[in-house]
This record gives sequence, structure tokens and C-alpha cells, in this order.
Amino acid sequence: MFNNPYLEVAVVALGTVVFIILVSLGLGNATRLIVRARGASLSYQNNTFAGYLFASPWIVGFLVFVVVPMAFSLYWSFTDYRVTANEAPQFIGLDNYTRLLFNDASFRASIVNTVFLTVIGLPVQMGVALLLAVLLNQKTHGERLFRMAFYLPVILGFNTAVLLCWRLMLNTGTGVINQIIRALSEAFPPFGFLNRGVIFVVELVNAFFLGLGSGKFNLLARVIEAGFPVDNRVPLWVQSPLWTKMSVVLLMAWGCGAMMLIFLSGLNNIPKELHEAAQVDGASGWKRFWSISFPLLTPFIFYNLVIGLINSLQIFEPIFVLYRDNQPLVPSTISMVYYLWQSSFSHFEIGYGSAISWLIFVMTLIITALQFRMQDRWVTYELY
Amino acid sequence: MNAKRIVNFVGLLTIVALILAACAPAVNPAPTAAPADTQAPANTTAPEPTTAPEAVTLKIYLLDYTPDTIAWLKSDINPAFEKAHPGVTVEITEGSWSGWDTTFSGFFAAGDGPDIINLGSEMNTLYGASLADMEPYLGEAAWPDIKNFGPALENAKYDGKLRGLPIFTAPRYVFCRTDVAKGDLPPQDFAEWVTFAKENTVIDPATNSLTQQALVPVDAGSMADWQFWLLVYYSLGGELYKADGSPNFDSPEALAATKFLLDMRQATYGSALEAVGALPTGQGSVIDVNDASGANNGAVCLAHSGWAAPAFDRPIWDKISIEPFYGDPANFPNSKPVVLAFNDWLAVADYSPNKELAAEWLKLAFSKEANNKWNATMGLIPARNDSQYGFVTESAQLKREAELAARYGVGFAGIFESAKLSTIMQDALGKLITEELTPEDVVAKIQSEYTDALK
Repeated sequence: MFNNPYLEVAVVALGTVVFIILVSLGLGNATRLIVRARGASLSYQNNTFAGYLFASPWIVGFLVFVVVPMAFSLYWSFTDYRVTANEAPQFIGLDNYTRLLFNDASFRASIVNTVFLTVIGLPVQMGVALLLAVLLNQKTHGERLFRMAFYLPVILGFNTAVLLCWRLMLNTGTGVINQIIRALSEAFPPFGFLNRGVIFVVELVNAFFLGLGSGKFNLLARVIEAGFPVDNRVPLWVQSPLWTKMSVVLLMAWGCGAMMLIFLSGLNNIPKELHEAAQVDGASGWKRFWSISFPLLTPFIFYNLVIGLINSLQIFEPIFVLYRDNQPLVPSTISMVYYLWQSSFSHFEIGYGSAISWLIFVMTLIITALQFRMQDRWVTYELY
Repeated sequence: MNAKRIVNFVGLLTIVALILAACAPAVNPAPTAAPADTQAPANTTAPEPTTAPEAVTLKIYLLDYTPDTIAWLKSDINPAFEKAHPGVTVEITEGSWSGWDTTFSGFFAAGDGPDIINLGSEMNTLYGASLADMEPYLGEAAWPDIKNFGPALENAKYDGKLRGLPIFTAPRYVFCRTDVAKGDLPPQDFAEWVTFAKENTVIDPATNSLTQQALVPVDAGSMADWQFWLLVYYSLGGELYKADGSPNFDSPEALAATKFLLDMRQATYGSALEAVGALPTGQGSVIDVNDASGANNGAVCLAHSGWAAPAFDRPIWDKISIEPFYGDPANFPNSKPVVLAFNDWLAVADYSPNKELAAEWLKLAFSKEANNKWNATMGLIPARNDSQYGFVTESAQLKREAELAARYGVGFAGIFESAKLSTIMQDALGKLITEELTPEDVVAKIQSEYTDALK
């Protein structure tokens, strides 16, 4: 529009502001006309005008940035739209959906991987968050420091430096995590035995899930054939398809700071009198946790479960940062949203990607609705 | 009163409509005609000023170039171009190969973005339909200099027509440490490679991890990279497509290449059940020496392009040989030495309203002298044959690389649905090295899935 890019940006920004103001005034006036036509009082008309005037910036944003893109996405999901083909989207009806549901083995694998990360990763993440919250609730010295330390991963996110650190830490031979496991295994033989047992179980479970994804259970047979791991076995974190998802689970647990804060606020809300009364009655700390703290924490657990489940179903970032440069491992851990990204932005099939996004949306909606329907059975709100 | 308010409201809506109309994207002007003057300058000397039709900004999107390259473009090329084209401003945006695909899909979806974009070898088929036909501007009739470009020019074509110009050639060689390697260098067939891998790989029993790896291909960790597979496949004389255009992964060469990858993997890591750890992640080239400790970085041979090898001023180069990959002449008579030639190229987007200007900029930045200078800032081999002088011939390594590229170079282009093939092959090869699938299963899977992808 203008030759000077700075001027263009300034004019577009100013135009956007003017547009929002004018649309807000328009919407306010329109609603005032409507209520006036219905015979409302002058005061009610003015209140209606003011209400819609101030709400309309958000309404306009919602329409422009959410509703319109969603409508386009829904339309594209019924089309063959390849962004690099230089052609308009071709309407193909339900073909994208039938291909996804019945013919796409990679999408099935991505669902299986996502289910793994949800049924194993989410409980681990919530368990670690709850454990940390309980520990931090002990009112010990340095509580704030620990709270900040545990929340720090949420702030750091998955940037390049963090990724490099994790890759170094997870290296099979020289990574600090495996070095610790080796040192502990040598110092305490029972730990070594436990480590090998965990490795065996993890590899069995992962081989089973990989078999579910691919429809072939050769790898499971190989793991069973290999038998109980030998003495010096360590996890092959970012090296083997049997460990790729566990590495992601590790990152999920590392990023549990937000959940931990929710649990911590829940623990702080529990009346001290209840614990004091139970203590007087001789209840142990364990008994008090399970009989008092845990039931009263269920609304917080429910919240974390709903949010955590939505996040798990939409998991992308840890997989992207850990494995994008290690392509042979991607299929063993690819999630539904990673597959959506791959279809849309690597294979440039926007129509197909849109269909995937709508399927994920429907699945998330159903699971979340089920959670709300079932909350009456285990969530305790009485004291709140 | 009511009428007045209604008038106000209608007035507001009119203003909104006017603003929306004003903000709407401008209709792309009709493609500019081919230049009447076909004689373009062949060096960085600024051409005689011509009258630009209007004041415009020529936008160029480059990926991961060195600061020296960008500084040179901004100090030499762009000012010269702007002087020759009054009213034209050249704007360079620097991006990264990490996430380029998402960025580019945004450009093409919106039909708006940089006039010139930076692409890799295999992307001519991926984006071809969305790139401008530059034959009228850069074809031999319009620019005689085009005949000076080497085989990399094929990577800059789609549907037989030029879409841009190649910057450099970056073949994948086999670099080997002559001081570390046991046995004769270089291995001449598959059997020799497998023996070499067994003799030159060291596993630390304490950590059950590699401390020395005989051959580190493109993907060090797994030895299952699709580009390495293609290098091996081409060295056997394999062709990606049959005469009817269908995939050729059911050929004996494809099966042999797949078996070779598995054999090399097992000669290095042992069976998948042995769970041997990979080489540690380190800094610098894997065939270099750590300056602080004096220890080797772990690899005996490296099958990769020059940028994964040590910098040219490193002393280790006295002990490094540079060879092509020789295939398996013992079992496949059509075997030939191969270096897989990658290159970067600059393409003009079809949505660009400034195709003629883009062509003029490309002619300036890809003149004989400029192509040499551009690559001198990166230490790579210029795509133009007549630009391979100066730093190219003065460096023993680059001279050798350029010779090998000229003799054995095989282009990494013309791969249909390359992104999908990459995904399909990485999936299958990942399952090969875990022994989840046999080599026969792998080639059958690739053949079947790639055939579907091409439909």
C-alpha cells in the first residue's frame, strides 16, 4: 500500500484501531435500536449501548480471529487444498475424514502415541506435581526458592538451550541421568535390579503400544526374546523407539510447575482445624493425607485433570523439540497434533490437516464432556 | 431524532466499509513483460541506471547465511542494484531452515510474501507450481550467462522451466581420518564397508556405548537417514522412478541399499537387542579432534557435505581423505562412484508482482564474480562453472571437492512429493534399524506408501 514499510505498519495499526472503534460504536448503536424497537426504557437503552460498546472489541476479535478461521478450517476439511499447488481448494466431501479414520495408519499410530502420553504421561505429571506440592506445603526453609525452582521450567518452556540441555542429559553413554543410574546401580545392587526391572517393563509396554500403532508386534516379540536386561543396561532415552515416549513423559513431568501451584493453593485452602483434630485423634500423616487432604483436593485434581488431558491430547512441543532433527524416531512418538503439523506444514495438505484438527477437537470435546459428567462420582465440593 | 441516529449509524457503516475496502489486498498487477534488453551485466559492476516503473521494495528471504554473506549483499550487491534501479529498495529478511516450511506455506497460502525465496535442492517439485516461470527473464535467449551454470541448474527448474538460480553445490562426500582408520581407505564395496565398520567401531563396555563410530552418515545417531539411503541407492545405479513414472523401490538395488544400511547398523551397534548407546553429542565436526583434550570426536569416516566436516583451516585436514561413495561393483555392475549434490537456490514466487526486477537482481547477484564472492563468504563451491576460481582452486579441499562434484555429482532433485517420501522413508528405516521390519518389509512398505502418495 505504501512504499515505506514503517508507514504501512503505522497506518494499518491506526486503521485497525479506528475500525474497532467504529465497529464498536456501530454494534452499540445497533443493539440500542433493537431494544428501543422492543420498547425498552431510555436508561435500559443507554445501558445496552454501553455494554455492547465495551464488549464489542472482544466480540469483533473473537469473530475475526476465532469464528472466521474456524469456519474456513471446517470448509477446508471437506476439500483437497494443497497450499503449494497454486490451485483453489477442490470440494471432496467426507474423503479426508474417511481416509483419516479408515485408511491412514500414521494417524492411527499418532492416536496410539497420544493415548500413551495421556494414560501414562499425565498421571506421572500429576503425581510429581502433587508430590512437590505436598513437600512444599511443609513450610520449610527456602520454600519460596523451591517453589520458584519447580515453576521455572514453565517459564523456560522448550527453547533451544533447554532442548540442548535435555539432549545432553539424556545421552545414553555420557548423559548425566544415565550416569546417575549407573552410579546408583553399582553402589546399591537392589537399585540396579530395580532399574533393570523398570527398563524391562517400560520396553514391554512401549513395544506393545508401538505394535498397536503399526499393527505388527515384531518389536514386542524381540523384547520378550531379549529377556530381562543385562547388568549394565540403561535407558536409551532419545535413541530408541522404545524410549522416545518416555523421554517426552520426562519432559512433561519436568514441566509440571503450573499443576504444582494449583495443588499448592488447594492444600493451602484446607482448614488447619481438620488436620489438628485428626492429629489429636492419633491419625498418622499418611492417614490424614488420604482422609482429609486428598478428598478436599479433588476439585483441584479435577481441574488439573481436565486441563492436563486437553494439553496431553494436544501435545506437540516436547516432541517437536526433541525429535524434529532425529527423523527416524519421530514415528515412534508422533502425536496427533504433530501429525496435524506434519500434514499441514510439511506436506502442505491444508485440507487434510483441517480434517485432523476437527477430529482432535471432537475427541477433546467428548472426553472433556465425559469428565464433567463423571465428576459427581469422585469430586468433593462440600467444604467449598 | 430516530432518523438522525439511523443516518449516523448508516454513516458509520459506510466508513467501516470504506476502511475495509481500503485495507483489502491490492489486485496483483499483470505479470511484467520479459525485458526487451536481453544483455544483462555479468559482473557486480552496477548496470546503467534504468527508469523503474514505480517505487517498489524487492523483498528477498534468505535462510541461514553467514553474517559475511549478508554483509556483502548489503554493502555491495543491493546498493549497486538500487543505484541501477532508482526508486527500488532491496529488503533482505533472514530466516532459518528450522521452521522454514511453516513460514513458506504462509507465504503461498496468503499469496503474498517475499519476491525471492531461498529453497533447497528437492524443493523444486514441492513448490514448483507456485513458483514463477523465469524462462523469459533468465533463459538463454534473455541471459546468455545462464549457460555457465553447472548441473545444479536442473534443481532450479520445474516442469522444464527455470524458476530461479542455484547459488552453490554442496555434495555429500565420504571424509575419512587416515590416521585413525584400520584397513584400506576408502572401502570399495559393501562387503568392505561392513568389514571396515566392524574393525573401526569401538564400544565402551562400561557404558555399553559407542566411543568410536566407523561411519557417521548424515544422521549420526541412528544410521537410518533417507538421504544416506538415496546416496547408496544411486551408487548402485538405482533410479527412483520406473519408465512409467511409478516408484522403483521394489527394485533389486533398493533392497540391496536397505540391506546395506541394516548391515552397517549391525556392524556398528550390534543387534538391536544389545542396546548399544550412540556417540555422545559433542561440539565441532565428528571427524575432528577436541583442542582441549586432544581426543578424537568419535568418527572415523563421515558421509556428509562439507559443512559437517572440519573448517578448512583446521590442522586435521592433513589426515583426512575425501572420496565419493563407490557403490557395490562386486554385486551390481552398474555401480558408480557418487557424490550426492545438494544446493541452495533462489526462486521467484509466482505471486510476486516484481518478477522482472527479481530477475535483474538475480543476474547481478549471480554474475561470475558475484557467485564466486558469495560462495567465498561460506567456503562452498559456486554453482557457476566459470566462478570456480580463486578461493576454490587455492583450497586443496575445495579443489578436490569441486573435481569430485564435476565427475561424480548426482543431483538431489526431481523427487516428487519429496516431503512425503522423506516421512515415509524415515518411518520405514526407523523400523529397519530396530529390526521391527525386515529389509524386504521396508522396501515393500515404502513402495506401497509412496505409490499412494503420488496418486
